[in-house]
Amino acid sequence: MTEDYHIKVLLASIKSLHASFQTLALTSSDDKAKRDFHEAMMITDEMIDELKNRASELETGIANGS
Amino acid sequence: MINIPNWIEVIIRSICILVGLFIITKLLGKKQLSKLSFFEYIAGITIGDIAGTLTMDLDLNLTNGITSILIWTIFPIISSILSLRSRKFRKVVEGNATVLIKDGKVMEKNLTKEKYSIDELLSQLRKKQVFQIADVEFATLEPCGEISVLLKREKQPLTVGDMIQNPSAIKEPQTVIMNGKIIDEPLSAIGLNRGWLKEEIEKLGILTENVFLGQVDQYGRLTVDLYDDKIQMPPSSSTQLLLATIKKCEADFELLALQALSKKTKDMYDKHAKWMQEIKNKVGSHIID
Repeated sequence: MTEDYHIKVLLASIKSLHASFQTLALTSSDDKAKRDFHEAMMITDEMIDELKNRASELETGIANGS
Repeated sequence: MINIPNWIEVIIRSICILVGLFIITKLLGKKQLSKLSFFEYIAGITIGDIAGTLTMDLDLNLTNGITSILIWTIFPIISSILSLRSRKFRKVVEGNATVLIKDGKVMEKNLTKEKYSIDELLSQLRKKQVFQIADVEFATLEPCGEISVLLKREKQPLTVGDMIQNPSAIKEPQTVIMNGKIIDEPLSAIGLNRGWLKEEIEKLGILTENVFLGQVDQYGRLTVDLYDDKIQMPPSSSTQLLLATIKKCEADFELLALQALSKKTKDMYDKHAKWMQEIKNKVGSHIID
């Protein structure tokens, strides 16, 4: 199923974004930059959770179907 | 009295006066270098001249010379202290800026007063990259002889603030590696340590000893210059990549939202696409360069 595949690719990208934001938040010396990167990191955090849920939903859906 | 040869006396005089002059220049400070006022400029030249003659001319009395140098040193110092205190004194000693162009019009009277010909004015303006008087809103002749130019609004160069509403603040980069040696002070100033630096260098695939110069920018990115100039360093594209990834994710979510079968999943993907946009806005201003 394409949605399943797409979500897996997206998950990987977003996880990498999450890691990048985390390092940027830690290494930035400007306060505003620090805060913005941190907020971006929190958003990606939530996204990862929801995407994971959706992925497992799809998996069980397939399992039920077959 | 023992008769010392002349050249030895010259050596002794030179060394003593050299040390003395060094101390005097430190006392007078950096301001002297910019020759802010004519008086200070002349005082500087005179001190140098007296010192020069004093070292060479053995007929001159040393005490007289040193007294004279001291007088020439003390007066500029006193005058600078006084001009710090009083505005009136400052006006007299350092002079005022003369307005040469006001509201785009040349002040001919002031030009004559400063004995400035229009050719000189034009040539000074050209040095400031101004080739037409019509482009100038306001120009003054500073006490130090420089011309300061304010261009008309429409002729002013574009700044970052004109293009981006709230650009992120800029901080000076820190030099953390010099001649292959890690310098701890600037590293700790930005809250990083040797361990982090070693890791970053390892990531680049080089040795610390090969790094001639290493600097860290405000986002904690390390840029290096190597001793061996034949080694090609990949351009730092991590932030560009980041922005590209964000854009790609946004597009992917939009695509998924279009393909979604149920309302619930479509809403979720729409929300995520919106979040991605939010992230792009937040982070974008920091990683444009």
